[in-house]
Amino acid sequence: MDLRRMKDEEKLDLCRKYYLGGFALLPFLWGINSIWFFREAFYRDHFDQQKQIKTYVIRCIIGTIIWVAIITTWVVIFQKYRADWGMIADDMSFIIPKGEL
Amino acid sequence: MDTQAQNQGFEVQEDDIEVAIRQPGQDSGRTTADPESGEVVPHHRQGQTSPPHRLPADGTLLDQGEHTTQVDQSHGQSSSEDEADDDDSENEIVHGAKHVIMLFIPVILCMLVVVTTISSIGFYTKRDGYLIYTPFSENTDSNAKRIRNVLGNTFIMLGVVVVMTTVLILLYKYKCYKVIHGWLIMASLLLLFLFSYVYLGEVLRNYNVPMDYITVILIMWNFGIVGLICIHWKGPLHLQQAYLIMISALMGLIFIKYLPDWTLWFVLAAISIWDLVAVLCPKGPLRILVETAQERNEPIFPALIYSSTMVWVVTTVEPDAGNDSGTSNIKANNMELVPLGETTVTPEESTVTESSPRQDNGGFTERNGDHEARQRRRDEVARREVQQRSCRDEQGEPATRVSVQQSDEPKERGVKLGLGDFVFYSVLVGKASSYGDWNTTIACFVAILIGLSFTLILLAIFRKALPALPVSITFGLVFYFSTREIIAPFMELCSVNQVYI
Repeated sequence: MDLRRMKDEEKLDLCRKYYLGGFALLPFLWGINSIWFFREAFYRDHFDQQKQIKTYVIRCIIGTIIWVAIITTWVVIFQKYRADWGMIADDMSFIIPKGEL
Repeated sequence: MDTQAQNQGFEVQEDDIEVAIRQPGQDSGRTTADPESGEVVPHHRQGQTSPPHRLPADGTLLDQGEHTTQVDQSHGQSSSEDEADDDDSENEIVHGAKHVIMLFIPVILCMLVVVTTISSIGFYTKRDGYLIYTPFSENTDSNAKRIRNVLGNTFIMLGVVVVMTTVLILLYKYKCYKVIHGWLIMASLLLLFLFSYVYLGEVLRNYNVPMDYITVILIMWNFGIVGLICIHWKGPLHLQQAYLIMISALMGLIFIKYLPDWTLWFVLAAISIWDLVAVLCPKGPLRILVETAQERNEPIFPALIYSSTMVWVVTTVEPDAGNDSGTSNIKANNMELVPLGETTVTPEESTVTESSPRQDNGGFTERNGDHEARQRRRDEVARREVQQRSCRDEQGEPATRVSVQQSDEPKERGVKLGLGDFVFYSVLVGKASSYGDWNTTIACFVAILIGLSFTLILLAIFRKALPALPVSITFGLVFYFSTREIIAPFMELCSVNQVYI
């Protein structure tokens, strides 16, 4: 897909779909959306749909940041307290690192 | 040549033709001049899964196809032929290099991913089990028996590939698009979720990184779904390319892990011969696929092909259209287009509003500095005209748009390479690296790239879809065996005797 070849209405539609899709626990989609449409939203000369695109992009950026924060926090907590949690943490573990001698 | 297939159905008025042609000659001559076919249009296909494509015109959009056609015709008839020819050869050289680079990068990336994975993660070189396609064991006492088993395995693999390709072609021929899409989506689903899950697990295990299921599930879910969206629906081009490279690499890794040693080398040879047959024989399945796609003016499924640029041709408006025959021109175009039916698609793509001339033209540089400006001016003119026209006759909107697009010249061209090519290139290099000898790995790496450039040169000469595997794989195999059997022992001997060359 190349944005330069799309009409503004389509861009808006695409941007909206990506934004809505992001709610399905897909922060990656939000991240892409915010980067992909960033230029459209902030740098291009004014056009009709710009305002809406801008809203979506801003929300996507916020969403992405929140998700990154959540994931980072969770990973940090998990890594830090994994050993203390005992069995529960073991059950949650995808990879349990091997110890070294 | 290929373009002819698309000719049907159009009547092009003389005016148009002139315009189409001339324009190229003047400003961006190079661009248009070649579109006719070629050089640009390379494509390759690959053996197994992926089909080829023709490029330049191939359009996703009908119009492009047409467009090209127009140019072609005109080319034949018009007096500007000579100039165009000159331009052509010049362009070929300039563009050829760009194409080589444009394909080198993804191919190199794909091979690098495989080589680094193979050399750092033990999982992919450890034997545990084989695919059901290779039922015969290579671990036998006698060489004769081993050869027999290897040949048996190879024929079964090749048989599977041939059958699958044929099924795909039949489905395509009878327009069972739903089935094909379902099939491709299943395949990418498998690669994006299962194989990448295994891959992620192995990477983490290799580096001993603790990880919890919650994070992993979230990552896999995001990775997989976004991949499906980008490959099969709409997504940024670079992301799509990245995903295609990743799934090719994953597929290559699977082959390396699950194919027995000798079978793998024989399969590589067999596949490249099959590729040759499938693409070049008049009744070869891949050739039929390409031709049918051209006839129908459709792109080949994105999940099968890596394209270096967007397929769409971009729109800019003709200069001449502005002045003399402007309106009539548009009208004429209009008429042609409308019957096409698919016109609905077109307007979407034509960004009448902001079609910046500066598209991602995949390295087709516009040499005139002021070209852009001119184009913009032209756009303006055309737009104005369109507006006027739509004021004039009410029903204008959609139709007008289409027409504008129609009169545009194709700008973007890229090269296409079947994903299967990526897979088998990286299988060869990956397998070579799995023995741990860097000389061999690098020799294969370079051999494949040389083969690829050679194929691109052939492409410029023959101007039709060519198989990308045979040359590269032959080079790769020759380099692999000669390096492994001759150069490596020689170098060893040299270093033992302290001889430095």
